[in-house]
Amino acid sequence: MAELVLGTALAAIGAGLAVGMAGLGSGIGQGMAAAGSVGAVAEDEDMFARGLIFTALPETQAIYGFLIAILLMVFSGIMGEATDLPITAGLVAIGAGAAVGFAGLGSGMGQGITASSAAGAVVEDEDMFARGLIFTALSETQAIYGFLIAILLMVFGGILGG
Amino acid sequence: MVEDFTTIITSLGFPSSEAFIALLVITLAVIALIAVIAALRPVLSLYPYTYPNARVRARQGRLLTDKQYSEILESQNIGEIKNYLRGIPEYAKYIDEFPLEKALDVQLAETYDIIARIAPDNSKDAFSFLMKKWDIRNIKSLIIAKEARLSADETMNLLVPFGELSDRLNTLVDTDNVEEILNGLEGTNYAPILEDALPQYKETGLILPLEASLDNYLLENLLRTAATPEDDNTALLHEYVGTMVDIANIKIILRAKTDGLKFEDIEPYMITKGYQVREWKLKELMESEDVPGVINGLEGTDYSPVLSDILNDYSVGDSIAPFETALDNYINEIAKRISLKNQFGIGPMIGFLNKKEKEIKNLKTIVRGKREPDLSATAIKEMLV
Repeated sequence: MAELVLGTALAAIGAGLAVGMAGLGSGIGQGMAAAGSVGAVAEDEDMFARGLIFTALPETQAIYGFLIAILLMVFSGIMGEATDLPITAGLVAIGAGAAVGFAGLGSGMGQGITASSAAGAVVEDEDMFARGLIFTALSETQAIYGFLIAILLMVFGGILGG
Repeated sequence: MVEDFTTIITSLGFPSSEAFIALLVITLAVIALIAVIAALRPVLSLYPYTYPNARVRARQGRLLTDKQYSEILESQNIGEIKNYLRGIPEYAKYIDEFPLEKALDVQLAETYDIIARIAPDNSKDAFSFLMKKWDIRNIKSLIIAKEARLSADETMNLLVPFGELSDRLNTLVDTDNVEEILNGLEGTNYAPILEDALPQYKETGLILPLEASLDNYLLENLLRTAATPEDDNTALLHEYVGTMVDIANIKIILRAKTDGLKFEDIEPYMITKGYQVREWKLKELMESEDVPGVINGLEGTDYSPVLSDILNDYSVGDSIAPFETALDNYINEIAKRISLKNQFGIGPMIGFLNKKEKEIKNLKTIVRGKREPDLSATAIKEMLV
C-alpha cells in the first residue's frame, strides 16, 4: 500500500464527509418517504408506482455525494495514479466534501418529509401527483448548490484540472 | 504558498502544520456533530408518524363529500341508502351483515381499531384506551337491553363486535339481569366499577349511576393516559382529550342546573380531574345557582367566549341545546386546529377521527330522518353537522 501524504489524507476526509453526510440525509429522507409510501400502498395498491417515485427522489443527494467522493479519491491520488496532493488542496477537498455532504443532509431530510407528505396527499386526492412532485423536487436545489460549489472548489482549488 | 501557510501556523503558536490541521479537523467534526444532532432531532420525531399519517390521509380522502351527502339525502327510503353505501368500500362489507345503524357503528369502531393499531408508540396507549369506548358502549347497551327485556337477537343488534369484550359478547347477551352481566364481566376492569355503583342502582332503580361510573372511568383514565406529554404530539393529544373531558363535565353541569339539581346531586357524576376546568373550578360551577351562573363561572377558560355569546339570547327555562352544540363545535374546531397545526405529527389522526365521528353522526341523522315520513331532504340537511 502506497504511503499517503497529508494532503491526500485530508482529501480522504473530504470524500468521507461527502458521501457520509449526503448518504445520511438521503437515507433518512428516503426512509421517511418510504414509510409514507408504504402507508399509502397499504390503503391503495395503485399507489405502488407513484410511491416508488416519491421514495426514489431523495436518492439523488447520495448520488451527488458519491460522485464528489469518487472524484476526490481519483484526483487526490487515493485511487489510480499516486499524486502528492498539497495540504492546502487537501483542506479544499474537506471544504468540497462538507459542501455536498451537509447540503445533501439538509436537502435529503427535507425532501423526505415532503415526499412522505406528498404520498399521503396523492392517496387522498390523485390529482395531487404532479403538484406533489413539484413541491418535493424543490428541496433538491440545496443539494445542487452544494454539488456545484464542491465542483467549483475542486476546479479552482487545484484538485480537478490542476 | 505552502511556506506562507506554515509560517501563519507557527506564528499562531502551533508546533507544526499537522497539529493545526488535527485541531481544525477535530473542531470541524464537533461543529458538524452538533449541527447534525440539531437537524436530526426534530426530523426523527416525525418519523413514527409518516406511515400512519399516509394511511389516515388515504381514508380521509374517502370520507363522504358534499356531493355524496346530497345524493344520499335524495334517497327515497332506507333501502336506497343501503344501496348507496354498498358502493363505498368502507361500508360495503358491513351493510349486509348488520342492521344499518349497527353497520355504521361497526365501521366507526373499525376506524378506531385501525388508528389504535397503527398509532406510534408514544401515543398508542391513548388511542388503544379509546377502544374501551366500545366496551363501555356495549355494557351500557346490555344493561339497557336487560332493563327493557329485549330478546337475545335484539340485544345483539345493539352491540358492536369491537373492543376487549368482543369475545364475551355472546355469553353476555344470554344474561338475564345487571347482576349476571356483572358476573360475566368478572376479571375485567369494568366489574369493580359496576360493583361500586350497584348499590345506588338497586336503591333507585335507575341505570344512570351505572352509566355514569363507566363514563367517568373512560374519560378519567383516558385523560390520565394522555396526561404525561413527552413531546408536542402527545401534548396536543392531551389538549384534545382534556377538552373532551371538560366539555363532558360542563354539559353534565348545564343539564343538572336546568333540572335544578344541587352540588351533592351532581358531584357523583363528575370527572374530577379536568383539563382547563380543574377540581376547584368544577366545585364552583356545581355550586352555581343556574345556567347563566355556570357560564359566567367559566370566565378565564377557553369555553367562556364560546358560550357567552349564546348566553345573551338565553332565558332561564330555555333549552340548553345551543350551548351543547357550541361545545360540540368547539371540540371540532380544536381537532381541526390540531390537524392543521401538526400536519406531520399526530394532527391528521386526531382530525380524521373527529371527521369520521361527524360522518357517522350525519349518516345516522339521515337514516333517522328518512324513517320519518314527513321530513324533507332539506330539513334533514339542516340537521347535519
